[in-house]
Amino acid sequence: MTRASALAALAALASAGAAEAQSVRFVACPIYRDTDAGRKSGCWLADEAASGIRYDVSRSPTQPDWNFEILIEGEPADEPDTACGGRVLHPVRVSVLPGACTRHMLPAEGHPGRRFVLPPRNVRPLSEARPPLEGPATTRTFHILFDFNRAFLVYQLSDYLFDQAITYIRSADPRRIVVTGHAATRPTLVSGRELAEDPAIAEARASLIREALVRMGVPEDRIVVRTRTEADIVAAEGADGLAEPSRRRVDILVEVAGTQEQARRPGGGAPSRPAGQ
Amino acid sequence: MRPFSSFVLAAAALLCGGSVAASVGEEYGWWGPGQEGSFPAVADYPNAEGTLRTLLVGAPVETADHPFFAPIGPSGRACITCHQPSDAMGLSVETIRRRWEETAGRDPLFAAVDGSNCPILPQDRRESHSLLLDHGLIRIQRPWPPRDGADRPVDPDFDIEVVRDPWGCNSGSEYGLRARQPSISVYRRPRPVANLKYLTAVGFAYDPKQGLPLPRDPETGELISGNLMADGRAGTLHGQIRDAAPTHLEFFDEMSREQRLRIIDFETRIFTAQYRHRIGGRLDDFGAQGGPDVLARSEPGQLGSIGRAVWSEFEAWENIPADAPISAEERAFKQSVARGARTFRERTFLITDSAGINSPIGFGNPVRNSCVFCHNMTMMGNDVAPGQVDLGTTNLPFADPAPHLPLFRITCRRDPHPHYGRVILTHDPGYALTTGRCADVGKITLQSMRGLSARAPYFANGSATDLRAVVDYYDRRYDIRYTEQEKQDLVNLMSVL
Ligand code: HEC
Ligand code: HEC
Repeated sequence: MTRASALAALAALASAGAAEAQSVRFVACPIYRDTDAGRKSGCWLADEAASGIRYDVSRSPTQPDWNFEILIEGEPADEPDTACGGRVLHPVRVSVLPGACTRHMLPAEGHPGRRFVLPPRNVRPLSEARPPLEGPATTRTFHILFDFNRAFLVYQLSDYLFDQAITYIRSADPRRIVVTGHAATRPTLVSGRELAEDPAIAEARASLIREALVRMGVPEDRIVVRTRTEADIVAAEGADGLAEPSRRRVDILVEVAGTQEQARRPGGGAPSRPAGQ
Repeated sequence: MRPFSSFVLAAAALLCGGSVAASVGEEYGWWGPGQEGSFPAVADYPNAEGTLRTLLVGAPVETADHPFFAPIGPSGRACITCHQPSDAMGLSVETIRRRWEETAGRDPLFAAVDGSNCPILPQDRRESHSLLLDHGLIRIQRPWPPRDGADRPVDPDFDIEVVRDPWGCNSGSEYGLRARQPSISVYRRPRPVANLKYLTAVGFAYDPKQGLPLPRDPETGELISGNLMADGRAGTLHGQIRDAAPTHLEFFDEMSREQRLRIIDFETRIFTAQYRHRIGGRLDDFGAQGGPDVLARSEPGQLGSIGRAVWSEFEAWENIPADAPISAEERAFKQSVARGARTFRERTFLITDSAGINSPIGFGNPVRNSCVFCHNMTMMGNDVAPGQVDLGTTNLPFADPAPHLPLFRITCRRDPHPHYGRVILTHDPGYALTTGRCADVGKITLQSMRGLSARAPYFANGSATDLRAVVDYYDRRYDIRYTEQEKQDLVNLMSVL
């Protein structure tokens, strides 16, 4: 990352400070509420032990598995809790952890759930042409985000971010692409336990993205792979202003000959905060 | 049952001005290897639910010396042996049994290599062929340790042991894990070789189940759909032929590229679907679009949820005019089919513990959805994304009891399986025999859903003897609690595909 973009990232976080103060981060066993407003309309709830508050985490790109603990990271939204019966977190990220849980399902109890709406971050079919690049290509960084300790392209989040990167790469014809896998290895205290990513996940993420680029037709000899532990926080479009999830990422630095990276908001396309659904 | 040749003649006269040689064919439409003639441009075949139609688009195909039809190996078999036009280019157990009776078990179909439960068994006995005769199953021998789609060795993340080996092909000295060339034998249904443009279509560049873009065919550089073969071991039709020739045909010479291209040329031009129903009559009247014609003409690879809804071909039957000149019985059937299409798409239930859907992709476990969640390709009902999903058809405790099948114990060496834990009991590890990953044990590639009435039994291991058994399996597996009406509607829908 260039100095300029690092500064921009910090500035973005500072301005998000107010929201940051009330963001929640905890580990819990998920509860499935069997609401039925059509496909994918079930609710996911999680009780934060420290506060006793029941949160609605259903808006995460990754949904829980009722047999496993989840890490929840999100911001309370200014929304009524009627849909699912929990304080709504939005934006929110759920990561499935290995710890076992007893599966628990609640009936709808009068809650309607939410009708499924195709999220704005969805990869379009190949039959739809990607919009052409506007203006001359410049050196740019794309941040591809991951769930905690995972190296898997999150459906309707990181596949979308990656698709933006590859679309840019195809029209920018870069001389070199630097893929940097990050791991958030510095332990943090969450719900009374220390959480830290495995340093090896940096490598796993980097090689996944490298493989993904190659499968999408990028010549192998243009790709350089690096890894970093103790990942820093960045203003990544896909993190929607959430700090901790932004550490878990791969940076794809697209180096275009004769250009320097501009301090600009990466991504383009989708809004930097999720639109209400 | 009406003779095959009269059907061909009728169809030919009607649609092609008699250009089709009403070649040959026995009473029930068996197309034998080496049978010469012009493959009919249009042919109709009766089955218990009505009539199946095959369409061959483009130039005629002469079957003489054609590598799909000619017995190129020493066994007297050809591709056509297991991919019969009357059976929607698959092979029904009914046809298999009739073949056994008519040839006193001497048809090359029953060859020791994979037409018997195991080649070490006495081949002249019926019980040595019981898997084929009772369940329509062909023996598939996969190498152990596994080899991937490009035939490269894979270092598996699980160990496999044989728990039960009813036929000796998994634990003997000639076949199985202790043989000189260790292998695993599983038993699977032939998959229909028709409408293939839908199975090779690539709708999206990504495989959300694997969290990666699709792999590419090293020969052509094209993205691979990942929708061929139960275990995905062949990415392309070329790869499939390389797999089939030395196994099913015992043809060990390298098939020439020209021969492979001729096979693929035929495979990609043949379309099939039910065309008439015994009660419902024509499947393309009153605005409906059943039958193979529309399949041949349509763009493959569309996702029903963002384009044309799956099975909306029958939507017009929701509103058949009150004064339409049809019997009450026919009307009721057509309305049932239309309801079945809606049930397929809209009746939701909780999908649980099915790897490929409930993990690792973040749909959640459970996730509320319907049949169309997995069977999502417009007009074909296979998966637009590579369709490797563990429905539980081969894994315990979800699989139906199957004492006739081998049983394996899989032990995951690294991470436990997200839904089964460290140890999995399975009749067929499916996709894991290609990837070597315990997370893939029991994943079976979704099939196309066309021509079902012509090719019972269903599921890769033949565990559902009829369409009702398919619906009942889902009803048990996901505790759906369909009403009797919903079940019948689904069965009727599937009977006209
Ligand atoms: C002995 C029976 C038999 C013969 C002969 C045979 N097949 Fe098959 N075929 C099968 C079976 C069984 C499968 C399913 C295998 C699996 O899923 O692992 C299959 C699958 C296929 C598929 C994949 C279709 C799909 O939807 O996934 C194609 C294509 C195919 N065969 C073509 C051929 C060709 C070409 C030949 C001749 C070279 C041939 N078959 C010969 C039994 C046979
Ligand atoms: C979770 C994904 C999923 C859902 C939901 C689903 N299927 Fe399937 N379906 C599969 C898979 C995977 C197979 C292949 C399994 C096998 O062959 O063992 C399959 C196979 C089938 C087949 C067999 C086709 C053949 O050629 O043998 C039929 C018929 C079928 N499904 C109908 C349905 C119906 C009806 C529903 C709704 C009740 C449904 N499916 C819901 C995944 C799904």
